[in-house]
Amino acid sequence: MNEDIVLGNGAIALGAIEAGCEIVTGYPGTPSSEIIPEIVKLAKRFGRQPYVEWSTNEKVALDTAFAACLTGKRALCCMKMVGLNVAADSLMSSAYLGTIGGLVIVSCDDPGPQSSQTEQDTRLIARAAKVPVLDPSDPQEAREMVRYGFALSEEFQVPVILRPTTRVCHARQSISYGEIQHDFRRALFKKNAQRWAATPMYRLVQHGELNRKLKRIAEKFDEAAPSNIHNMEGDEVYPFGIITGGVPYAVVQDLLFEEGRQQEIPVLKLGAPYPFPERLAVAFLNRCEKVLVIEDTDTLIEVALRDRRKVYGRLSGHVPEQGELVPEVIHQVMSNVLSEMGLRPLREDTSWEAVEIVKRLDLPVRKPNLCPGCPHRAAFFAIKRMNPKAIFTSDIGCYTLGVNMGAVDTILDMGATITMAAGFYHAFAQDGLQQPIVSTIGDSTFFHSGPAGLINAVYNRARFILVILDNLTTAMTGMQPTPALGIRADGSEGGRISLEQVVTGCGVTCLETVDPYNLQEMKSALRRAKAHVTDPQGGIAAIIARRPCLIAYREEGDVRRFRVTDACEDCSYCIEHFGCPALIRDEEAGCATIDDGLCSGCGVCVEVCPKKAILEI
Amino acid sequence: MEVFNIVICGLGGQGVLFMSRALAGATMLRGYSVITAETHGMAQRGGPVVSHLRIGHAKGSLIRTDCAQLLLAMDEGEAYKNANFLTKKGHIYVNTSSREFPVPEMQTYFSRQGITYRKFPALEVARELRAIKSANLGLLGYCAAYAGEPFFDSEALEQVVDRLSPAQFREVNLGVFRAGLEKGLQEQKGQNTERRRKGIMNNKRVR
Repeated sequence: MNEDIVLGNGAIALGAIEAGCEIVTGYPGTPSSEIIPEIVKLAKRFGRQPYVEWSTNEKVALDTAFAACLTGKRALCCMKMVGLNVAADSLMSSAYLGTIGGLVIVSCDDPGPQSSQTEQDTRLIARAAKVPVLDPSDPQEAREMVRYGFALSEEFQVPVILRPTTRVCHARQSISYGEIQHDFRRALFKKNAQRWAATPMYRLVQHGELNRKLKRIAEKFDEAAPSNIHNMEGDEVYPFGIITGGVPYAVVQDLLFEEGRQQEIPVLKLGAPYPFPERLAVAFLNRCEKVLVIEDTDTLIEVALRDRRKVYGRLSGHVPEQGELVPEVIHQVMSNVLSEMGLRPLREDTSWEAVEIVKRLDLPVRKPNLCPGCPHRAAFFAIKRMNPKAIFTSDIGCYTLGVNMGAVDTILDMGATITMAAGFYHAFAQDGLQQPIVSTIGDSTFFHSGPAGLINAVYNRARFILVILDNLTTAMTGMQPTPALGIRADGSEGGRISLEQVVTGCGVTCLETVDPYNLQEMKSALRRAKAHVTDPQGGIAAIIARRPCLIAYREEGDVRRFRVTDACEDCSYCIEHFGCPALIRDEEAGCATIDDGLCSGCGVCVEVCPKKAILEI
Repeated sequence: MEVFNIVICGLGGQGVLFMSRALAGATMLRGYSVITAETHGMAQRGGPVVSHLRIGHAKGSLIRTDCAQLLLAMDEGEAYKNANFLTKKGHIYVNTSSREFPVPEMQTYFSRQGITYRKFPALEVARELRAIKSANLGLLGYCAAYAGEPFFDSEALEQVVDRLSPAQFREVNLGVFRAGLEKGLQEQKGQNTERRRKGIMNNKRVR
């Protein structure tokens, strides 16, 4: 036995390796991104050779994992919850077809949201797709649930979803390593077109089979300790009980322990909440006068309980309907409900005084910002200068932060920069208006969801400038390689896909590749692009702004140094329009100055300054 | 044992996560269970970064407001913003060279709650050693000099910093850590002498 402090995503990876998982696919997205790299590390450590890939998107990942599980192998597919939307088509259908080897889909939720577009609840998607879902409360439980998920998937021939939230994925916990018990299997595919290529008539049969499976799984979940368990004793009746699961379960346990009220307030934990363990839940409900439901992030359990007169939760207005259920929120909710019932509330939290004081201090709000020297900033600066009146559609990645520069107007979902640009174009063109539109997208996001939208835009004669911000990595989620690099998830050599070829392959005839650090060149490329977009014979104009991410490709050695000269007239143009964190206003001297600790030495600001007051030393 | 809660805060790039990992590692080295919560993704790009560290048998990774015994802050503003996590009689260590910390309203709050605060110019100390990126370890070293808990000892911390540091930063990291530790120990010695002297002057106060 070997104890270590392990990231939640590492614990999930460990569970997969321990379960003998042989196929791993996924697309990065916070908070799920570390699972695949951790599997690569653990496989080396335990001398295993699972097949591991970064897929181009989540649907691709799930299709791939699904096929692999049909050969009898255990497959794991990892993504964040918005990725599961992309993979929804694959998920819904795979539930009908069912599995042979275990298939566990890890879809990480992000209550808050800390780093996502939505606060959606994967458990509800599991219900929509009719697949079982497991909701771990900490890293150790996530690891155990991966193993349990594989066994469950094989027993009932159905995909299983594991839904950890940010506080599981990005928690670190002391964990002991164990043995690997699973036997490895040789790939074998038994043809059965009636099942694997089922026509609508057989889909109806499969739907019936799936419904029967769910009933059996619900019965299993009635007795699925330690995932589903309560601490009621004898046949006592309690005035008040709590039903919870996932991370809120951990918080509730800590709170009741701190307050010494574990005996008085029973807790039913539903770590396996769907298919709903009705018998277990109803038995608990019958022994409480009132029950409070605390769950992340929607109302799966609360809706399933049905008894409105007995149940407090989101639907009764006792639990906030949005935002993360952090411990102080749960503390407040529990205290309020206890008071309302005439029971003793929890010990008062007096820290609100500090919050009031801090509010009055008027501290500066620290917004996330593009790094000093980020090539995206240079590209956005040129785009904004050359197209001041354009609509700027953009996408998911670090470059979302172009919003600070006024160079991002819309963000919807992966790839929507292109499809929305086309939508804007057609809406204005219908009225005979030439609305300039500049669409920006990162390299990895383009590979994920760009081509289908771009083909559609070219086919339907939309016109806009498309700038692919190519920093040769997936920066936002932790520098995963893209298909253009020819490096795979395990570090081995992969095929290399040229971004230029994909863009031209989608039918774009006007394409240039430039270095965004060279502002003059970037500006003239944008000028030519604009001419093409407005030319009667023209169309979509694409520019690949290529410059490696400064963090991913950190260079050793001396950086170039710059200073602000006396020519600075304190106009603050550089600070307001370029917004590099290294450019700050020297209040005493009354001019701009460069923070050498932050400056990366990119030198782009030399060209930004209208007074030519920045020089290299 | 009661769960011991530590909040570590600062801004993206100030090494908050490294401090948290070093502390967690040192705690485990002494045989304690630990669970931590980290900030990843969007929030890391220059925005506020907070790490929660819970020692003992906690189930959840997040610390509730009014429950942390210790707050380590790499930035003054973030120290204020996270002050509501501190429990009564908690301790706060801040990287700052400003005389104005804490502002009077906060000082009143601290004394009412019995919260002890200590300031340490970690960035200045690190700059003197030409290693501004290692300022986080200066604050960690300084705090280690004061902390009396069995899971917070400087030897274990030094061992973990050594293990976690990438080869090219190992020496500077350890250098800044030791400088912080040294400053803290000296300061304490000074305070003890001062206290003793005062004790003698006040006569018979010291047994």
